[in-house]
Amino acid sequence: MSLEPFASSRPLTMGVELELQIVNTHDYNLAPAAADLMRLMKGRRIPGDVKPEITRGMIEMATGICENHAQALAELREIRDNLVDCARKLDVRLCGGGTHPFQDWSRMRIYDTPRFHEISELYGYLSKQFTIFGQHVHIGCPGPDQALVLLHGMSRFIPHLIALAASSPFVQGTDTGFHSARLNSVFAFPLSGRAPFVQRWDDFEVFFGKMARTGVVKSMKDFYWDIRPKPEFGTIEVRVLDTPLTVEKAAALAGLIQCLARWLRTERPYALNEDDYLPYTFNRFQACRFGLGATFVDPTSGEHRLLRDDLLSIFDKLEVHAMELRAEEAIVLLRNEIKGLGNDAGWIRQQQEREHLLPEVVRLQALRWQGAAA
Amino acid sequence: MFDTAWIANFHRAAGLAAPDAIFWGALLLVAGALAGEVIARNSRLPRLVGYTLAGCAAALAGYGPDIPLTGMTRLVLDIALALLLFEIGSRVRLRWLRFNPALLWTSLAEAAAGGAAVFAALLWMGVTMPVAAACAVISIPSSAAVAGRVALELGAEGQVTDRMILLTALNTLYAVLALTVLRGWWHAGQATDVMAALGLLAQSFLGSLLLAALLAGLVAAAARRLDLRNESSVLLVLGLVVLALGAARMAHLSTLLVPLLAGLLLRNVTDRPWIWPRHFGTAGGVMVLMMFVIVGASWSPAALVAGGLAGLVLVAARAIGKGVMVLALARPAGASARQGLALAVTLTPLSGTALVLLSELHHAGPELAMQVAPIVLSAVAILELLGPIAVQAALRLAGDLAPGANAVKEQR
Repeated sequence: MSLEPFASSRPLTMGVELELQIVNTHDYNLAPAAADLMRLMKGRRIPGDVKPEITRGMIEMATGICENHAQALAELREIRDNLVDCARKLDVRLCGGGTHPFQDWSRMRIYDTPRFHEISELYGYLSKQFTIFGQHVHIGCPGPDQALVLLHGMSRFIPHLIALAASSPFVQGTDTGFHSARLNSVFAFPLSGRAPFVQRWDDFEVFFGKMARTGVVKSMKDFYWDIRPKPEFGTIEVRVLDTPLTVEKAAALAGLIQCLARWLRTERPYALNEDDYLPYTFNRFQACRFGLGATFVDPTSGEHRLLRDDLLSIFDKLEVHAMELRAEEAIVLLRNEIKGLGNDAGWIRQQQEREHLLPEVVRLQALRWQGAAA
Repeated sequence: MFDTAWIANFHRAAGLAAPDAIFWGALLLVAGALAGEVIARNSRLPRLVGYTLAGCAAALAGYGPDIPLTGMTRLVLDIALALLLFEIGSRVRLRWLRFNPALLWTSLAEAAAGGAAVFAALLWMGVTMPVAAACAVISIPSSAAVAGRVALELGAEGQVTDRMILLTALNTLYAVLALTVLRGWWHAGQATDVMAALGLLAQSFLGSLLLAALLAGLVAAAARRLDLRNESSVLLVLGLVVLALGAARMAHLSTLLVPLLAGLLLRNVTDRPWIWPRHFGTAGGVMVLMMFVIVGASWSPAALVAGGLAGLVLVAARAIGKGVMVLALARPAGASARQGLALAVTLTPLSGTALVLLSELHHAGPELAMQVAPIVLSAVAILELLGPIAVQAALRLAGDLAPGANAVKEQR
């Protein structure tokens, strides 16, 4: 199979996908209710759509193509409300968070489709450990070359996005010390990491052709990169975000990415250089491990800064773009979070410190997801 | 309890003291555990089939317990059921019924239709009205024992499992209340003294509720301070449940109602998850195992001859009555047809709860209970092996069991 042609899309439009946890109301472990939820959602008219995921305790919701932050938020809220309503009929709950804090992966069940069974067979326990929950944000690009340029520009902010969105401190019942332990599971896959440094689609096609010839990949779906082009939609897809605990945060992160894209596109603040990737994995590890308190190595100057400070200075630079895109609310929400508790991982840890009972923490997460005050 | 003639002769000849309750209890445990492990190793069936088989063997050999259950057998049954009912109650969120009213209708309809079908079918067979009514009430509850045990051992989870537990908790509740009315009615000398019957119902329900609230409050207080996932801490809760059970027996309150209501209160008063090892760890597990052996033994070839046909009619009528309603309301309640079918099957087992109801009936009217016993015991005998196996198949059909789930092999 060769690489499909890159569809054109309106620049800076966006789409948001969220992978959600379905939990029971007894011990708040993952509940295998995806098929039941899908059945109940069938007759409902919602913007975007809802899809099953690889294990039966997960479900994915996606907006349609959105112009701005407000539209994305409205769509996310509407889908969320419908899902919550259906979940109530089944006595299950939905929640955000990049990992389920205490699920036992060996007990996960694979959703019944041929592709999921194939993946499960190939990756073995990795596929079950892949019961992790992320947010993907698509940004529209007019053409493939612009997409690649935007992709490499955006790579600089991957650590910032990881730290902001991190919501997976607990795995299998223990505190990992990480803010985003979810990404550690992604890194276990052979084709994770970053896209090759090519800025023209012709060159990317050559790269893809070589990879396909080795038989290692068949389609773009086989790459688990942090950001990858999605030719089918004509977008680039940012994949490093943990699913946040609220749709408001999810919309805000999407709004931030849209602002970053506009900034990169209109001002071209940094010249692209392959050497910028030298501190990439270091920065990414720091962000996963320490969240907003991570050390950020500036790829251009080599200067070490606190990620939190770098982020605040970026917010200042985005002001005009946030105004143009009407994403001010998104930036305000994120700025307040940084000045308050930090990210959702911090909130989750705080709850566990108070409750000493992870199931109770999941219950509180589910309440936040529903939009109730926790 | 058992016919002990040969052992009595043997120990006298050997110059030993008479075997006591500990000896018999341990024998029960060993036989049940052994049969359970044999089943687990050689089949894909749940262990409780083995426990029941051990009981069946005892019954065939003429060592079945006396009915109504008394003494140690009743005590074991009471404790085991109290633990299971408390556990089941504590998993039922009544708010589910508000968000999914069709489930409430399912519950009311399956209980009413199951009871009515049994009543009508037995009348049609020529059974007298009081006996048919008593049989109908006793066949309302599905098996808390099988529901709780099979789900645990097979690691079942999903909509059918959740709904099975919900419907079982509710139909057990209905049955206990209906039996109380029936007893009051019977006490009042077959007259239609409705007021007396309702008075007794109110009295026993309020008393049970009070005791249940006390138990729930104490368990909640313990759970907030201790980590009940720990096998040692949970022994405190086990003790509290058994203590409440003892109090219920002293106050002549229903030993089924108090733990069930306590579990329900615990779940529905706060939203905080209450988590403890199933059956409160190994200690409770021993009681549950012994209960299955006793229930397995509580029939005799004689009873089967006397009530076998009526028992068979009861089982069939009950399954049809319950099944039709569950299936008819599956769609409105948000389940697939396949899940509806599976759920209907999971409600068919009849076990310990029925035996306790039978014993309670015996207190009120021994003559009536003696007529009811052969029919109910035959039904229990018919379903005690078939029931759990059918439940396992149904849960598998519904996809509530992990593919190829086999408790033993997975743990090995």
